[in-house]
Amino acid sequence: MQKQYNPLLWNAIFAVILLGLGYGIYAASKSIDYTWRWERIPQYLISTDPTEIRSPFDGTVVVEQGGKRVLVDPDSGDEPFVVEKFDLLLADDGDIVFEGDAVAGIEEWRLGPIGWGLLTTLKLSVVSLVFAMVIGLFTGLARISDNPALRNLAITYIELIRGTPLLVQIFIFYFFIGTVLDLDRFTAGVAALAVFTGAYIAEIVRSGIQSIPPGQMEAARSLGMNYVQAMTNVILPQAFKRTLPPMAGQFINLIKDSSLVSVIAITDLTKAGREVVSSTFAPFEVWFTVALLYLVLTGALSWAVQRLEKRLAASD
Amino acid sequence: MTEHFDPSIIVARDVDKIYPNGCHALKRVSLEINRGEVVVIIGPSGSGKSTFLRTLNQLETISDGDIRIDGISLTDKRTDINKVREEVGMVFQSFNLFPHKTALQNVMLAPMKVLKKSREQAEKKGRELLYKVGLSERMHSYPSQLSGGQQQRVAIARALAMMPKIMLFDEPTSALDPEMVGEVLDVMKSLASDGMTMVVVTHEMGFAREVADRVVFMEEGELVFEERPERFFESTSNERLQRFLGQVL
Repeated sequence: MQKQYNPLLWNAIFAVILLGLGYGIYAASKSIDYTWRWERIPQYLISTDPTEIRSPFDGTVVVEQGGKRVLVDPDSGDEPFVVEKFDLLLADDGDIVFEGDAVAGIEEWRLGPIGWGLLTTLKLSVVSLVFAMVIGLFTGLARISDNPALRNLAITYIELIRGTPLLVQIFIFYFFIGTVLDLDRFTAGVAALAVFTGAYIAEIVRSGIQSIPPGQMEAARSLGMNYVQAMTNVILPQAFKRTLPPMAGQFINLIKDSSLVSVIAITDLTKAGREVVSSTFAPFEVWFTVALLYLVLTGALSWAVQRLEKRLAASD
Repeated sequence: MTEHFDPSIIVARDVDKIYPNGCHALKRVSLEINRGEVVVIIGPSGSGKSTFLRTLNQLETISDGDIRIDGISLTDKRTDINKVREEVGMVFQSFNLFPHKTALQNVMLAPMKVLKKSREQAEKKGRELLYKVGLSERMHSYPSQLSGGQQQRVAIARALAMMPKIMLFDEPTSALDPEMVGEVLDVMKSLASDGMTMVVVTHEMGFAREVADRVVFMEEGELVFEERPERFFESTSNERLQRFLGQVL
């Protein structure tokens, strides 16, 4: 007999434990006299500060058409600097401005440093993921090939990558390979992540293919399909379905591992977080925010994979 | 082009098969099969009958000897084995339908990918074949939604879609519940009466007696005895065959 749990009671207990943990964090921060300043965070995600338009030289401000047009008359007597599209007037008629002083501002929303970091992390992950899947697919196929050269190359690659830390690989890619091939830091970061994740995907691909009964390949070949046709039409679609759950785990790891490229000065979400901490002195808020943003990325990914799994389950 | 006048479509000569682990699965097996002939191979398990069948489309390679399919030698390095396999359909004990495709898609796949037929042509042929095996109603079902007998009939239709000259059957009814054996054997009988060349490994002695032109008995990798069915089952000359028939009949 399976034990029956009262769902209401135990869900309530779950909620109480979560609330307790939340209160614990709050109490802990109280005990160290931490002042929470959540209001400082949003501007680092999306900045609403007006973009300032600065005078290119020293001169005198002239406001025309009832404030719809601003120009700066240079002291040198050259052509004036004219600004027609702006939202805020930052100088008065007759003001004397120096080169670099703000004369007007445009109100617009821009990504703040953390927003940019999030975008960089997203770009980094997507590009590495595409390359990692290609590397992983071909390495996985080579791994189960009858050709000893292909097979041993695949095994060597997989063992080398799995046996060394990603952080060390990133340094090698940036300082050694990056220098030899003259790669910029983003390319080096993508290469390191793709090569690292590719090794793990190769093993997932291998186990996926090997989990398909050999009769499937025999049936396909007995119909006259060659190896490539049998793989692409029969084996890989089935293996893909079976490997989706471990694949999703690997993709999520890739997003999280991408935080390590901040060590080669790519301003991803983690590095942006570090920079914002040093200018706000609000480390708790910033790191919680950064963690939440990673969670949004990985959560969206696992949601998408789960939907795909449901759709592919039609033939079960 | 004299081969068209050659009555034999399968010629196996002194076929030897030794597995890397030393197991001697086939010992100098020779067999000639004519166009339109139905040959049933029987024998105890482990006798090499399935192995022999699988050498005929090179799912198993052979260690020695030669096999010719419609005049083309399988041991010749210049032979494109995929071209030969287009002509030799195979039906497996465990059906081996593609589980991610519907019955109709299973039948359409190889003609489209291998023979480069258009989707319309492949679908027309697919519907025709599924009608022939009595599964018009179920053509949009996935294999998991079909019974064993239905799956095996789809597998036969799938092999027929390549318009093969030869059909190989590897214990096609052994994995079926007893009540489904009949429907598969009926399809095979109608195929035989259409003049298809068939090589059938089976334990269905009734089928052998009724449909076969020739019955072959194999044991321990050797082809022991071959005879027309009406004489095969009455034959008392061969002691090994007597022992086997005594066990299964």
